Amino acid sequence: MSDPADALAAVAALRRLADQLEDAAVEQAMRAGWGWPRVAEALGVTRQAVHKKHLKRLVAAGVTLRRR
Amino acid sequence: MSGFKQYLTGVMDQAVAEALRDRSATVEAQHLLLVILAALDLAGLDADSFRAALDRDFEHSLGVAGVALSAFDLSPATPDPARRPGLGNSVRLALDRAMRAAGAGAPQPDHLLIGILSAEVGPVPRALAQAGVDREELLARLRAAAS
Repeated sequence: MSDPADALAAVAALRRLADQLEDAAVEQAMRAGWGWPRVAEALGVTRQAVHKKHLKRLVAAGVTLRRR
Repeated sequence: MSGFKQYLTGVMDQAVAEALRDRSATVEAQHLLLVILAALDLAGLDADSFRAALDRDFEHSLGVAGVALSAFDLSPATPDPARRPGLGNSVRLALDRAMRAAGAGAPQPDHLLIGILSAEVGPVPRALAQAGVDREELLARLRAAAS
């Protein structure tokens, strides 16, 4: 990774991939019946953060969400 | 200004659709270029080949970090129909450069294209290189035609 342009492009691509994977993995977990606290803990973020980021999207996707 | 404003609004609206299709959180300069390429053939490059080049660059860039896209078999998240992608920084830069290219005169559609193609780093120049397009030469040609 000697070329700075390649290294920086790799960072941008990894961020984009991580965002896509987060959306997919959170949806998969919630469809499997996981609750918000467990998803948040697994991601290493607060429950509020994961809620704020994913709730609307998952409701729109028709995922049945657990209360806790 | 109003003619260009109208043109820009039309491009931006379609670029939002491109960003959603791309599952991007923001509208970026490459989405604007995809819209422009759908209406105009540029140096033999059309929207489909540019989209394919963007995908190749994404895979290539991940590969630099040792990550293979094919290693993940998670099914993609359901797209959110209510989501409106925000304006990415590459679009702001492209618009700044378009205005600078227009100078004191009224901006034209070609100035937007010049603004987008002026970026020396980021997905647009990388994908153009992937597609075998000589960006500098194209830019020089557009600048000569626009002045």
